[in-house]
Amino acid sequence: MPGILEYQSGDTILHHTHPLVKLLLAVSVCVGGFITKSLMFNLALLLLSISGGFALGMGRKVKATLKGAGSLCLFLFTLQLPFVRSGRTLIPLPFGLKVTDMGLRFCAQLSMRLLGATLPLVLMLGVTRLSDLTNALVAQLGIPYRYAFVVTTAIRFIPILFVEMHDVIEAQTARGVELDGSFTQKIRLIPPLCVPLLVSCVQRMENNALAAELRGFYLRKRGSGYRRYPLNGADALVLTVCAAILAIAIIT
Amino acid sequence: MIELRNVSFSYEGSADRALDDVCLSIAPGEFVGVIGPAGAGKTTLMHTLSGIVPHVRRGEFFGAANVAGLDTITSTVAEMSKTVGCVFQDVESQFVTTMVEDEILFALENFSIPRDEIPKRVDRALSDLDIADLRSRSLSSLSGGQKQKVALAAALALSPSVLAFDEATGELDPASSVQVFALLSQLRRERNTTIIVVEQKIMLLSAFADRLIVMDQGRVAIDGPVRQTLERPGRLLELGVNCPRVTTLAARLRDKGLYQGAPPINLDEAEVMARGILR
Repeated sequence: MPGILEYQSGDTILHHTHPLVKLLLAVSVCVGGFITKSLMFNLALLLLSISGGFALGMGRKVKATLKGAGSLCLFLFTLQLPFVRSGRTLIPLPFGLKVTDMGLRFCAQLSMRLLGATLPLVLMLGVTRLSDLTNALVAQLGIPYRYAFVVTTAIRFIPILFVEMHDVIEAQTARGVELDGSFTQKIRLIPPLCVPLLVSCVQRMENNALAAELRGFYLRKRGSGYRRYPLNGADALVLTVCAAILAIAIIT
Repeated sequence: MIELRNVSFSYEGSADRALDDVCLSIAPGEFVGVIGPAGAGKTTLMHTLSGIVPHVRRGEFFGAANVAGLDTITSTVAEMSKTVGCVFQDVESQFVTTMVEDEILFALENFSIPRDEIPKRVDRALSDLDIADLRSRSLSSLSGGQKQKVALAAALALSPSVLAFDEATGELDPASSVQVFALLSQLRRERNTTIIVVEQKIMLLSAFADRLIVMDQGRVAIDGPVRQTLERPGRLLELGVNCPRVTTLAARLRDKGLYQGAPPINLDEAEVMARGILR
């Protein structure tokens, strides 16, 4: 997980696109996936995201996201499938449960929507510096800096939490805590893992807030950002793609 | 000018005084080393200079602290931060962005440094610490020493009149530590920056600092020029501070009547001492 949400340097068109346009593209793909009723369009959007990810040189991020979100999708697929009662029965199951054609379609679309919503956001963060996103939110949308900073800091903290969790697991394993075992043993492991994680995270956030304050966080103004984000031809192209995705999603 | 008059401070919920009747006067452009055992009050002293104590780390504060004309009680931490640049031991938790360049830009943007000056300051900070090649790197991909250099660069880019470093070279290799201290020395010479460094590497302090402050149980136990302070290795050991080995050796030789001169505080001076004894 660490690294998946981090910016990856590059020189592609999307790296040079306006941060908010990239955000809009990711949101368009997500929303388009949820609006459309067409399974084929969901599949097309997913394939677009996957191929886009590889074209951006982010194959590792794509694979890791598909692996992580794919497990969740598989779980949801399996859980929902026997409970959809409408449609033609394909496989009868015990206790009155069954697998229907409608169930298969519904669960497949649900999985693709979930994957289709996760991947564009991961890729957007891969081609957008969080500081650019913060500055653009402030300069273009007029969002107060402290709120924009909080949003991007929350995103920044996700991989940090995973690293902290890994450190806590390592430390507790070194002290003899056995991580493998029965379900009740795993339940018992929650306090020794979660308490240190919570403590270290709170401490880290406190130190981080202090560091920001010491470096003039509260003096920041709307026009303080150094970088400027003018719209260019690539932005217009991406905006056209966004409009096309949403239009097709509504039609289908 | 930094002036602390009878400053005492106890953290909220603690009866012990982290600082106990501290009186200090530091002139502009002075390079001061602060040393002492764990729990001596070094970090609290640095926090007092930056206004973190008592504004963020709350507790009972007595006395008066004035840093470059700013009263630390009436000035906010943001106001203080324009004057005092701080780098603390745990650099990782001081990062507020994800990229090296953004980390240096953060404070420059906050303080609304003129746009045409920002790239010059970023370039200079990066080149001063020999990390220009890390400019576009993600902070998470750096080693501990590289991260420390980035934190130092972020502080230096602001060109504050006071730089307060709290064991900020802890993860640097010896050569990089010397490089950072030499840079601080240069800043002091060129810009008259006041440098206050909490550091356990006493050889480094003795080579670069003008003055040593030894803290013990919240008090200033010894405050004086480096050489004068190091002339008392016994007292330093009592306070839990190691003297440079060459200084300790000179003290032993003096006890045995083999050497009568001034104690050396670096290898060059030790060599002169050894030649004198062998002659």
